[in-house]
Amino acid sequence: MIFRVFINFKPGILDPEAEAIMQTIKNMGNKSIEKIIKGKFFDIYVDDKKDYFKEIERISKNLLSNPVIENFKIIKKN
Amino acid sequence: MRKKKIISIIIFPGSNCDRDLMIAVEKNLGIKPDLIWHQTRNIKKTDLIFLPGGFSYGDYLRAGIIATKSPAISEVIRLSKKGTPIVGICNGFQILTECNLLEGALLKNSSQLFKCEDVFLKVVSKNKFTSGYKKNEVVSYPIAHSQGNYFVDDQKLKELEDNEQIIFKYTSKEGVINNSFNPNGSKNNIAGIVNKKKNVLGLMPHPERATDNFSSKDGKIFFKSIYEML
Repeated sequence: MIFRVFINFKPGILDPEAEAIMQTIKNMGNKSIEKIIKGKFFDIYVDDKKDYFKEIERISKNLLSNPVIENFKIIKKN
Repeated sequence: MRKKKIISIIIFPGSNCDRDLMIAVEKNLGIKPDLIWHQTRNIKKTDLIFLPGGFSYGDYLRAGIIATKSPAISEVIRLSKKGTPIVGICNGFQILTECNLLEGALLKNSSQLFKCEDVFLKVVSKNKFTSGYKKNEVVSYPIAHSQGNYFVDDQKLKELEDNEQIIFKYTSKEGVINNSFNPNGSKNNIAGIVNKKKNVLGLMPHPERATDNFSSKDGKIFFKSIYEML
């Protein structure tokens, strides 16, 4: 089983990298773009013996994301 | 005569200011610090702990986060609760916010640039870490970081202000605090803070690099203050 953990900045947190990417896309000619939210994801592979959701949640909160500045979302994939 | 004091410096893979700090401590305090490898599980006796600058674990995931899971940091947390003074400089500050000993987080510099320059700081609150400075004194330390943009939400910011937990702010030489003199986008120009109990200090600038003839010497007073508090 795979858990995919998505992480991105909370609204209002400055992400200069996303700003630079947005500016570049604008420079490439796209004028309709309004906003870009950049994030990352982790695929965590586990065995099928039990549901590890709670544990993945704990890992996401304590290690993969910083709750002061980031949100996370977990999606279960089979 | 004063009882001999023990100062510890924790070293992580990727720390690179540990030697600068060691030399600054030796020269300014006359104490040879204990160098503690991050895998140490038991810090027996220490009067103060430094977390040095650098790039612990290559800044993987987020600056400072991997270091917070090392055994030595469990000891730092334990000792901080008992009141042991802890000082985190640069990457050390990032580690202290990541392990929740200090409020807030350090984001990428708003300019996206690695900033390596001398800056002016105002000592906005006096406490035992800065007892040698006058309140609102302007000092010069160098900075060298790409993730020093201090962020904290407005509610926490108010708490920091009300409790006088903000120690250093980026400023002009004349003491003007505004955006023009903010090297990294930090909220309210914050460069260094303490925890509520005021025994844990984190700052992005490097006092240990401001203690020699070729640089600003303003950091010497920082180390003198540290000596006085032991």
